[in-house]
Formats: sequence, C-alpha cells, structure tokens
Amino acid sequence: MSLPEFKLLRPRTLAEAIDLLARHAPDVQVIAGGTDLIPSMRQKLFAPQYVLDIRGIRELRGIRSSAAFRPEMGRLRDSPQDAGAINAVEIGALTTLTEMEHSTFLRQHYPVLVAAAATVASPILRNMGTLGGNICLDTRCLWYNQSLTWRKGCGFCIKKDGNICHVAPGGDTCWAAFSGDTPPALLCLEAEIEVAAPGGTRHLPLRDFYTGVGDNYRKLQKNELVTRVFLPQSSAGWHGAYRKLRIRGSIDYPLAGVAVLLRRSNGHVEDARIALTAVNAGPVLVKGIREALAGRPLDEAAAEEAAELAARTAKPLTTSALTPEYRREMIRVFTRRALLQAFNS
Amino acid sequence: MKKELISLRVNGRTHELAVEPSKLLLDALREDLRLTGSKRGCDDSSCGACTVQVGGIPMLACTLLAASCQEQEITTVEGVSEHGSLAAIQKAYGDWGGAQCGFCTPGFIMTVKYLLANNPHPTETEIKQALSGNLCRCTGYNQMYEAIKSAIEAEQQGLAASK
Repeated sequence: MSLPEFKLLRPRTLAEAIDLLARHAPDVQVIAGGTDLIPSMRQKLFAPQYVLDIRGIRELRGIRSSAAFRPEMGRLRDSPQDAGAINAVEIGALTTLTEMEHSTFLRQHYPVLVAAAATVASPILRNMGTLGGNICLDTRCLWYNQSLTWRKGCGFCIKKDGNICHVAPGGDTCWAAFSGDTPPALLCLEAEIEVAAPGGTRHLPLRDFYTGVGDNYRKLQKNELVTRVFLPQSSAGWHGAYRKLRIRGSIDYPLAGVAVLLRRSNGHVEDARIALTAVNAGPVLVKGIREALAGRPLDEAAAEEAAELAARTAKPLTTSALTPEYRREMIRVFTRRALLQAFNS
Repeated sequence: MKKELISLRVNGRTHELAVEPSKLLLDALREDLRLTGSKRGCDDSSCGACTVQVGGIPMLACTLLAASCQEQEITTVEGVSEHGSLAAIQKAYGDWGGAQCGFCTPGFIMTVKYLLANNPHPTETEIKQALSGNLCRCTGYNQMYEAIKSAIEAEQQGLAASK
C-alpha cells in the first residue's frame, strides 16, 4: 500500500530542524526510525503535508557520560544530588534501541533500561527504532490501528476522525494504551528529557511528559522535538528487570509490561520502584512501592504485596486482542517475577 | 506530488532515480530498479520479507523512505553472491531445503548474513534470537537452522582450506 503524498524535509542540524518545524508546524510529522509513523501513514492515520526526517542530525545520536559520573553514588544511601552531577548520563533521542541493547555502559549501570530496550519489537525493528521514538510512541487501540476502510466502517472514533469511543461507549475520553517498552524503565530511573522548541530548550522529568489520556497523550507541541534523555547517577547500579506480555515472542507490541528497579542492602530491599506500560493511556509509576518493600527481605509474600499494588494501578480496557482481566492478572504475575529476578540478580 | 531526483547506492552501483518523496525503499528497489528479490509480505512492518541492509545493518525496506536512504550503502539479496557464485549461506539454504515456498528467503538471507558477519560462531539461542524478526509462513525453521549451521561449518572449512 502506498503512503499519502507529502514533501520530505531532511535537516542536518538541530537548529535547522527546529526552524523547519516552526515554519511548517501545524502540518508536519517527525520521522526518525519510521517504525511507528510509516505503518500509521499506510493506514491513513496521518496524512501530513510535510514529513521531517531527523535521522541526519548526528548530534542527537549516542550515549555519553559526563566526567562527573560516579556510578557508586547510585548505590549509596542519601547520595549527594547536587545539580551538576545529577544528570550525568545523556542518551541522544536518535540512539537506536539496538545501540542501547548492546551498550556495555548501560548494561553495567542501568540494566533495567537494557532489559526493556532488548524486548522492543524484533531485532530488525530495533535496528531502526530510536529511543526518542519509543518515548513519543503513539498510543494504540484495536479501533484505531486499522485501515481507513476498517475505521470508516465502524464510524471512526475519538482518537481519529470521530466522536465516539468503542472501548468505553458513552464516554468522551480516549483510552488507547501507551505501548512503549523503555518509558517504564526510564520512569523507574527518574529520567529527564530535553525538549527543543523555537524559543529554546526545556527539561522535564519524563513522568510529567505523559497526560494519561489516550488521544492527547504527551505534552509536546507541534513545533517541539524530544532531543535527549538524561539519567541521574542516583539511579546507577540498581538492580532491575523488565517483563512483558505479548501474543508472539517477538515483533508484537506489549499488551502489559512491568519494569522493576531496586537497591539491595544486607539481604533486604533498601528502595524499590515499579512502573507499568501498555495497560494505561500512559506509562505509570506504581505508588507506595518504597513504603511496602523498604527494609524487608524480598520473599514471596513481599513480592505478592507489591504485585497487588501494581495490579490495582493497571487499568486495562478492551483496547487489544487480550482481555483486560488477563492483562491485569499478568501485571500481578510479572511484577512478582520481575521483583524476585531483580532481587536475586 | 512532484518527483524528485535522488541517488541510491545499491549493491555497489549508484543509480539516479526520479521518485515521489513518499516512495518506499521497497518500491524503489522493485519498481524502479527491478530488483524484485526483496519481497512485500505483510506490508505492516512485521514479517521481515523485505529485509535489506542499509549501511550494513538489516532494516525493513517497506518501512524506509527511498529518499531517506541516500548516501547510504544498500545491499539486497541480489548483492550477496560472491564473485558470481552463491554465498555459503545461499548454497546451504539450497542443500538443506531452507527455503520452502521461498518467499521469505531473501529477507532471511539478509538477516543471516548480518548475524554471521558480526558473530561468526553464534549459539543456537543466538541464531533463534537473530531470526526472530523474520517470519516463515511455511514454518520451515528447522531446515533453516540446519542450513545456517552448515554454512558456518562451510565458512570455517573454507578458511581452513585457504590457509
């Protein structure tokens, strides 16, 4: 199937890209790896006048740690968090998921992020897909990711071209699920992102980037670009694990996903964080995990308690081929398994 | 939309093409360059039948814009033979029945070439993981594993013989 027609813009520098975005703002789509946008354009979910291909911007590629990076800080209780040292690691938005999967630096200091990146789609798609694209990934729904003919036959929906929701009839909220694998890991790591705009750049914690609503799911203006991700050294060296549910063992998007991050000390949990994906309209941190687990050895009972908190945070609806009940139950199962795996790693 | 002149470097040759900006690399290869080895399978970025190497890395030609692939070295299945004879993996596919209907084979070959170039001695698990982005609807995966293992052996014997 061919794509809708558009004009292709290929900037070489970030400044050029921002300038082009500002000029064509209402009617431009950004493309990097293309693994999210191209299939959606085939389905006529997007038919922009301009497509901005940012792959040529070299400064947005690669993983760098500043001279101030001191990984041992992450393993210390009450590590000093002075502003200069807090974001000691920078990942360019155009870094591919394969590059992250094979980064020995990330594997050593931020294993949860490697675990999550290594499960995205398939090896070929990870060669193409970027970290920025995974963060900005469009939300997904059975009623949305379909061809124009299919959607037309069902009277469209709130997220695209219509005003009804087939998932929650009668409501005016879109419940399409956010299905990125790396954002829950990044939320656990307390990552920040840099957003470039015509007026300059701004930084924000990743947890403030998502709205929790399916159609207007991220706080990114049409003239803005996610350019970098920063990892604090206070999260370096923590143990982590990522588990996801999907129909096939490869290629598919997650239908439920759990990232777990914890710090151990003398056989007990010192601190822990859990975040979920693919069961809500945005990736979410589970509240109360530190309180539930800190100071305890991680046995089956403790893991089950945290898993219950995670399952209660998950609000899956019939946006995918598996039932909401099953997906919520798998959040519980995966949380328990991921916690035990991270604690014993 | 007005066509634009682009320059694509495919299998060692540079081609000047006039294409729409929305043209996919797969269509440019198949329709404009008549390189029909790369196949359109699913058309939704899942199956891997259109896999080519861009800058030496396997990517889906159905998910790339042709105009975005300029200044990069593109290799298709037509470009993997060595000095006019079949590459070890191509020969092994024939010997072991690695291709059944053959539709997925060009994509698999591009993936396997990359695997063996970067990891000459993959374990069984590494082979399976590497192939997890390509689908075979004849489900003939076992013959492929045999073919890949035999290609690895052939490469090693070739190396030994040339010493």
